Amino acid sequence: MSSVPSPQPSPALAASNDAIQTLGRHFPESVRQAYARFVLTRVPDDADIVVMAVMLDHRPDKKRAPTTVPEDTLALVADLGFDSVALTEMVFFLEDLFGVRISNDEILRVRTVGDLRAFVRRKLATQPGAAPPA
Amino acid sequence: MSRKALVTGLGFITSIGNDRDAVRRSLRELRPGLERIEFLGNPSLPVRVAGTIKDFQADSASWRDWRYPARYELPRETLRGLSAHGLYALCAVEQALEDSQLARGALTDGATGLYCASAGSAFMLHHHLAHLHAVRGERGNPMGVVASIAGTLNFNLAAHYGIRGAVGGFVAACASSSHALGCALDDIRLGRQTRMLVVGGEEVNAETLLPFAAMRALSTNADPATASRPFDRGRDGFVGSGGAVCLILEEETLARARQAPVYAELAGWGQAADGFNIAVSHPEGAGLAEAMRRTLADAGLAPGDIDYVNAHATSTPAGDRSEALALRKIFTDAGARPRVSSTKGLTGHPLSMSGVMEAAFCCLALREGFTPGNANLVEPDEACAGLDLPTQTLETGPTNVLNNSSGFGGSNVCHVLRKV
Repeated sequence: MSSVPSPQPSPALAASNDAIQTLGRHFPESVRQAYARFVLTRVPDDADIVVMAVMLDHRPDKKRAPTTVPEDTLALVADLGFDSVALTEMVFFLEDLFGVRISNDEILRVRTVGDLRAFVRRKLATQPGAAPPA
Repeated sequence: MSRKALVTGLGFITSIGNDRDAVRRSLRELRPGLERIEFLGNPSLPVRVAGTIKDFQADSASWRDWRYPARYELPRETLRGLSAHGLYALCAVEQALEDSQLARGALTDGATGLYCASAGSAFMLHHHLAHLHAVRGERGNPMGVVASIAGTLNFNLAAHYGIRGAVGGFVAACASSSHALGCALDDIRLGRQTRMLVVGGEEVNAETLLPFAAMRALSTNADPATASRPFDRGRDGFVGSGGAVCLILEEETLARARQAPVYAELAGWGQAADGFNIAVSHPEGAGLAEAMRRTLADAGLAPGDIDYVNAHATSTPAGDRSEALALRKIFTDAGARPRVSSTKGLTGHPLSMSGVMEAAFCCLALREGFTPGNANLVEPDEACAGLDLPTQTLETGPTNVLNNSSGFGGSNVCHVLRKV
């Protein structure tokens, strides 16, 4: 367990959590199921499916990159067309979805798809139990 | 002033139609755009009618949930910074560019500017602040500010279209887009810009409109057919509305050189404040009368030269009376009798977008030769004695039109539009 307290969503937030609502309304069934499984079992592979779907959804220019999950070596900005606003949007979405807090310093170190995947895994491992009920 | 400004393009997302032809039909046939509405899922609220926007579904805080006509192709980079009235505004600008036969690339020349007016999105602001409170300030949507605050229209439209000239927003409540239009005219007259986009927008939801019920300013008439009745004795408040309108103004030589379609000349404007009350207009319309006087002087016209006035009259007991008295002072006392109508009987009152919306209506009337009538006017208020208030749209068009707007704090702004 981390000594840093996780920012637990209040009941008001859980009821109107934009990220959970968006996941439920606009993401494929396979991603919604992976999120539901993760909330129950906290298996990292399930979170991974969700994180990759969220990353693909937040690409500003969808014409610049494939719609399938890209290689770990691809850079979010140079290869996938992310700008700083889209990166910030994606981080906010992941924070709300998993109930974690991500600092500016942390996100600045995430440059590639593989970095993002690994970073979220580490984050969820050190802030367990933070995900709000699906 | 040697430089003239011509209106060369219009775009409409309004309660009476989402394109020029639908709006024109409504004005000519007096087809209203009001509907029954239930705010906040509360059937016991006394306010039950609004000027709704059809064919759009944008009542969610998430742009992913929005539905809008397929003809508009809007990228996610733009959608993510918008609120509902920003969506309406983008669609109105798209129409106006097409109407004016302008390519998007023409807006990036530095000689094109953008003035906007809206109160911002109270709905979006409330949503994002509620989230901020729920997480005790830990995080917030990074687009929350630019999608919410007053200025959201100019932030978004300037970025989307790459506008590099004068860009700004006006905040004077229900006179705001009239200020925007007047200052746009000044920029063209002074040679600072050769083309200006003027955009007004508002949302039709509880967060924007119900606060006016707290002021006892909204109609509690539950019948959409009669709730908005400017100048009528039976009026009991305004009916809220929203949407967005874009008007493109171009310096005459530029417009003529590119053979742009022309609706009218924006020939003058003026403003004067009441200096009287934060919310109630001067009982005799002193500020509005002075604004009309200054506008006529700016356009070089006498009261007798005006043959149609598009009144601000929102259907409130006090405001309509003040405007009627101001109109009598300027016109009746000078022996002039222009036709007067308030198109808010059809549209409801879209707050800060009123001025540019009604200027656009006047452009349609001038180019196409009709004079909008007063919908729902059955028994004129005694304050209107001597005014010519047609109850049907006339198939004769005006030559010089005066367009009035008034806002909180007693801001009054008028324009003259002239047939070309």
